[in-house]
Amino acid sequence: MLILQQTTKGHASESSGRQPTFSWRQVIKDCLYFVAIAILLGGLLNYSLLRNAFNGTLIPKIQQNQLVNLRSKAKQFYGISVIELVSAKQLYDEKSAIFVDARTAQEYEIGHISGAISVPDREFLMGEIDPGKILPNKDAVLITYCDGGECELALDVANGLSDRGYNNVFVLVEGYPGWEAAGYPVDK
Amino acid sequence: MKFLNNDYTHLTLRLLIGAIFVYSAVPHILNSMGLASSIYNYRLFPSPIIGLSAAFIPWITLLSGLALILGVKVRAASLIISASLVIFISLAVISMIRGLDIDCGCFIGIVRKANWLAVSEDLLLLLGSLYTFFFDRTRISLVLLIKKLVLHNKNYEGALL
Repeated sequence: MLILQQTTKGHASESSGRQPTFSWRQVIKDCLYFVAIAILLGGLLNYSLLRNAFNGTLIPKIQQNQLVNLRSKAKQFYGISVIELVSAKQLYDEKSAIFVDARTAQEYEIGHISGAISVPDREFLMGEIDPGKILPNKDAVLITYCDGGECELALDVANGLSDRGYNNVFVLVEGYPGWEAAGYPVDK
Repeated sequence: MKFLNNDYTHLTLRLLIGAIFVYSAVPHILNSMGLASSIYNYRLFPSPIIGLSAAFIPWITLLSGLALILGVKVRAASLIISASLVIFISLAVISMIRGLDIDCGCFIGIVRKANWLAVSEDLLLLLGSLYTFFFDRTRISLVLLIKKLVLHNKNYEGALL
């Protein structure tokens, strides 16, 4: 009977061109039911994730996973060599590598590896930047980097440079955040 | 206004938005660490917020999406989806302003950058969910159909007796 009544009410409101009225209290109550069920199911199935989140081990785990993924992507899809943070620092100290910042000019301005040159991914891929002018030596050791995490701009730029005949291109998957967090020199 | 007051317009949008949210939620539920990683990329939230969001948001969106598809508690589901979309849009805009080139994390396995295209699509979805909220015309739904069939059978049995 209830359904029939609801249907009748609905048709009445349709003929009058008005929407059926509703109670905000009821809607909020229903929303809270959804949230309660989600908390119950999500809490039960993600206990370890929540435990990691609250004891501070989640972010290091995420960073670790992202580095592993980016390393395998660099090798599998781009065929680009990855360089370890410590090795990159060694080359930096020996002044035997050029660091290439693949992030936007805006991000580069905010902060970059000391002495790095800016080759924003988008402008580079659009052909607006001629690498021959800023990087004349095709045998120089080039280390591209971007924002770490899942950032693939450095992979794109490294790939583009390899295609243009640069022979020693590496990717620093830890990116600028990893370099900065290690306390290595930056320009701000 | 006739178009807005049409049962089939409501049904189409309900099914479309519901399906998109279910499609988005299921992989996130199966890979909550992947979602945590996407949330971390926004570089806005501390560890507990990342964990709580990755654990609960996919379930809330799954339940809301299913509710829209089945035609149950449509207003509540639309309200939750609208609120989620407002959060997603805000996050995408903040990321663009900060110059971050990141995946929005909307769908696992599908690259969808947090850019103006994603914001426009989310705005369209937001309009749709607001429509299903304010113009709730749930007269065509699986649940109502089942209820009607049950009622019809009961009446039929009653008439026979």
